[in-house]
Amino acid sequence: MVKTIQLGSRLRYPITITKLYKEPNQPIKKKEALFQYSFKWKRTVGDNIRGETWEAEETTYADWSSPSDGELKSWKIRVGQEISRDQDCMVVKESCSHDVQFGGLCAICGKDMTEVNWAAESRDMDRAPINMVHDQTHLTVSETQAQKTENALQRRLLQHRKLSLVVDLDQTIIHACIDPTVGEWQKDPSNPNYPSVRNVKSFQLDDGPRGVANNCWYYIKMRPGLEDFLKKISTMYELHVYTMGTRAYAQNVARIVDPDKKLFGNRVISRDENGNMYAKSLQRLFPVSTKMVVIIDDRADVWPRNRPNLIKVSPYDFFKGIGDINSGFLPKQQGLLTPSAAATTNGGLARIAPAPSPDKEDSTTMEPPLEKALEEQEKTLEKQIKDRPLQALQEQQDKQDEAAERASATPENGNTESTTPPPPHHRHQVLQDDDRELAFLENHLTALHKFFFQAYEQNRLSQPSSSPSSLDTQSIPDVGSILTTLKAQALSGCKIVLSGIVPIGMDVYRSEIGLQVASFGAELRSSVTRDVTHLVVSSQRPRTKKVRQAIRYLPKIKIVNQDWLAACFSEWRVVEEGPYSIEGLEDAQKKLNEKIQDAEATETVSDADDTDSGNAPPGKKRILRLKSPPRVRFATAASTGNGEDEDEDEEDSDSGGDDEGEDEDMDEELEAFKPTDADGQLSPIDGLKTFNWGSADEELAEFLESGSDDDEEEEEEEEEDEDDDEDGDNVNCEDDEEAPAQATTNITTTSSSYEQLLAAQGTAPSTKRKADDEEEEESHKRRKSLLGPGPSSLRNELKDEDVEAPTAEMEAQAAQDNQDAHDADDLDKEFEELDEEALEADFLAMDDGDGDEAQGQPVDGDGTGNGGVDENG
Amino acid sequence: MFFLHNLERRVTLHPSYFGRNMHELVTTKLVKDVEGTCAGDYYIIAIMDAFDVSEGRILPGNGLAEFTVKYRAVVWRPFKGEVVDAIVFSINPHGFFCQAGPLSIFVSSHLMPEEIHFDPNATPPQFTNNADMVIEPGTHVRVKIGGLRTELGEMYAIGSINGDFLGCLQA
Repeated sequence: MVKTIQLGSRLRYPITITKLYKEPNQPIKKKEALFQYSFKWKRTVGDNIRGETWEAEETTYADWSSPSDGELKSWKIRVGQEISRDQDCMVVKESCSHDVQFGGLCAICGKDMTEVNWAAESRDMDRAPINMVHDQTHLTVSETQAQKTENALQRRLLQHRKLSLVVDLDQTIIHACIDPTVGEWQKDPSNPNYPSVRNVKSFQLDDGPRGVANNCWYYIKMRPGLEDFLKKISTMYELHVYTMGTRAYAQNVARIVDPDKKLFGNRVISRDENGNMYAKSLQRLFPVSTKMVVIIDDRADVWPRNRPNLIKVSPYDFFKGIGDINSGFLPKQQGLLTPSAAATTNGGLARIAPAPSPDKEDSTTMEPPLEKALEEQEKTLEKQIKDRPLQALQEQQDKQDEAAERASATPENGNTESTTPPPPHHRHQVLQDDDRELAFLENHLTALHKFFFQAYEQNRLSQPSSSPSSLDTQSIPDVGSILTTLKAQALSGCKIVLSGIVPIGMDVYRSEIGLQVASFGAELRSSVTRDVTHLVVSSQRPRTKKVRQAIRYLPKIKIVNQDWLAACFSEWRVVEEGPYSIEGLEDAQKKLNEKIQDAEATETVSDADDTDSGNAPPGKKRILRLKSPPRVRFATAASTGNGEDEDEDEEDSDSGGDDEGEDEDMDEELEAFKPTDADGQLSPIDGLKTFNWGSADEELAEFLESGSDDDEEEEEEEEEDEDDDEDGDNVNCEDDEEAPAQATTNITTTSSSYEQLLAAQGTAPSTKRKADDEEEEESHKRRKSLLGPGPSSLRNELKDEDVEAPTAEMEAQAAQDNQDAHDADDLDKEFEELDEEALEADFLAMDDGDGDEAQGQPVDGDGTGNGGVDENG
Repeated sequence: MFFLHNLERRVTLHPSYFGRNMHELVTTKLVKDVEGTCAGDYYIIAIMDAFDVSEGRILPGNGLAEFTVKYRAVVWRPFKGEVVDAIVFSINPHGFFCQAGPLSIFVSSHLMPEEIHFDPNATPPQFTNNADMVIEPGTHVRVKIGGLRTELGEMYAIGSINGDFLGCLQA
């Protein structure tokens, strides 16, 4: 290993070479003097005390010592040469390049690499910085050695027509839990879960967690079809295990999955060797080139640097509610596609199933320091052993079954119940083993393998220099880019809008799901327009504003739940939408169409009024619209007794980034069949004259005393909103419900909630893009300008002017309010009479009808009575 | 190389153990604390006897009794150039790891005879000369220690099987 050595930066340049001690081809040793040089410098001489000092130039001679062992090949300097800066000085054939080091020792020459001395500028340790061995952290290699090893690996793989596949364990190919319930079920053939848990393997760890969880059994369920999958895949891929579990855990699981060590061999890497508690990196195993490496993992966020090589699989969740027992260290997961209730077969069970504990969803938590993470991990494990979530689940299931049975049994049995023992009722099992992910995964991996080697052959043929038989590492295509193109075909042509899936305040385009949608070639849209093909709705809250918008285009836009997206992600194609579509939308559409026709019929009439209202103070309408919707709609939904279209607009009206700009759309669409609010008979000012502001003040005072308006509002909501199932477990959407809900409570609070609303919405525009950008901005601007002098000052002014005669403007405003209230009440009545669809109400309410309804609502609730509204109604 | 070594250690005993068989307890504690540890550049393999247990001195402040124990122990100090028998436990393309008692030794592929090469296709992967020499996990090998480095409570060693009579041991 010939190496050119430099003089180094520490010398006092300029220097003059005065003598060479060594001839070429002589052996040299570290720290041995090789040549002598001189340099000139200034020294202060004379009498310091008297101040008679001057600088004298001195010449000093020094030796230059060898920084390495070996043989001197040639000098790059000569005697008498003056050197002004750092340059090459000699060529040395080193006796050892210290390419492989183990625990600070050179593994080749056995010298201590940690030694530091004056002769060398860099430490020998730094020569081998790369740690690329699976099961050791102390063994490091140099770049050249790494390159060599990896080239050899690539050659061998090419020869065998294989790629490397890095496999994650937890929730990808297995699911583990330590709930002792599983062990009990295994021993009890009468248990409904017995068939499911029969094949669950178990082991104990010596170095497992301390405390309660010490010596616990780990129960490992292999993903269905795993054995076949691995067998087939291992003919095309060399398999590696990369897990965030401990080494002992990884090895035990590997032993279960691969008892003969034929698949994984010793290619197992765990968090003990990973060197990073929070992220995985392909560079840890393949430091030079990841061109031939594919990853399968259930989490994309732990592979920040290797996304192109990643195939994200849907997490395998066999032991319901357990999650990943080794995820304590990982950053909290966000934006999962949690399967809908329907997908978990046992009806209501999924709702009871403990969603990943709330702290898991806390997206803002900083990554905990290691000790804390360890502690946390232990705690969760302990909790699992103590709480036995599976047992609890089964008990719940049993209870449900029992209840169902009783319900069906009692009418038949009548009074015979006491005489005959109840038949052994059929118990449903909690654990379902119906995962099909691996079959799809196998197809994807097979296709990827095929395309990779096609590309490789093509590259090779196009390179004239290489002989066809030789293995050519130059023409290796990048499997990451092949994977990317393959995936991009999957959903190409789809234009997808998400609703209620991405948490509020998060940029859809940067969310996990958004990235995935984009990576599969679909176009992600932020609002519903005519050319959108799919609207993906969270099945827990399937009545968002976007849904209502989409209903208009129904046959063209397919409205599906998130399971459809998940299915597409795992199958890499546009899955048949049928089973995933949201029910009951057809009716809604029919009704909507009727409405539209009606509205069109009356449009000619309303046109004139439109222009009228256009002249009204511009702030008014918008503000009212903003604070309005929920009340009227709840009222109507309840009054019609038709929960079908009971909507959750409040959740959606500002649900994060993706909903921005919707308001604007909505407005334009609604313009057409806006209620003719001022139908000419009533002067807009009339209402104000009768409005009792004093009572409003009282109400306000009372309201403020009663503490947090949110709470109250929430209570109200819970009472009224019966169909709104499980708000609680839907962590994502709670916030957005609150802001508008507040807005409805009271005109004074409204002003503050505008600001909230604005704040919520104001975050979005910066991240907006595409078509609705301009639209969006415009609407934003408009809203701002409207609000400028608007609501915050409004109330105070009104208070002051309670006694005095209202100014013209005020009058106009208040009149409009009352007019609105009037309209809203009219609406209510109408609905009661006609049993109208709530849908209609939305559209009306969306506009300006309900501003005062909102104002009146709390009053109705606490019975103080509001003259303005009542009188107008 | 193994040595009989006279060593000294201070052992502390909790007051709840004070009683007639204190010296016995001290010896037990000594054995438990010391046996099998790496003390600098040697391993304490076994304690033969504690030939002198001093009087206990109460430590001011916490009431523990401190005994100075002189004991004789079998220690093993590996030397550079020493030949040891070891068992292979892990193999990778750069070389293999083997364990000689408490000491793990890395044998790099550079320090193997020319004809031995890494065979990644075997299950498990192995170093072999395609003849009688097959090195895989579990194989007994004779290696020559080429370098040693000690850290606190830990020792690293480099080995070589490049030499006469080194390498696989025919069982």
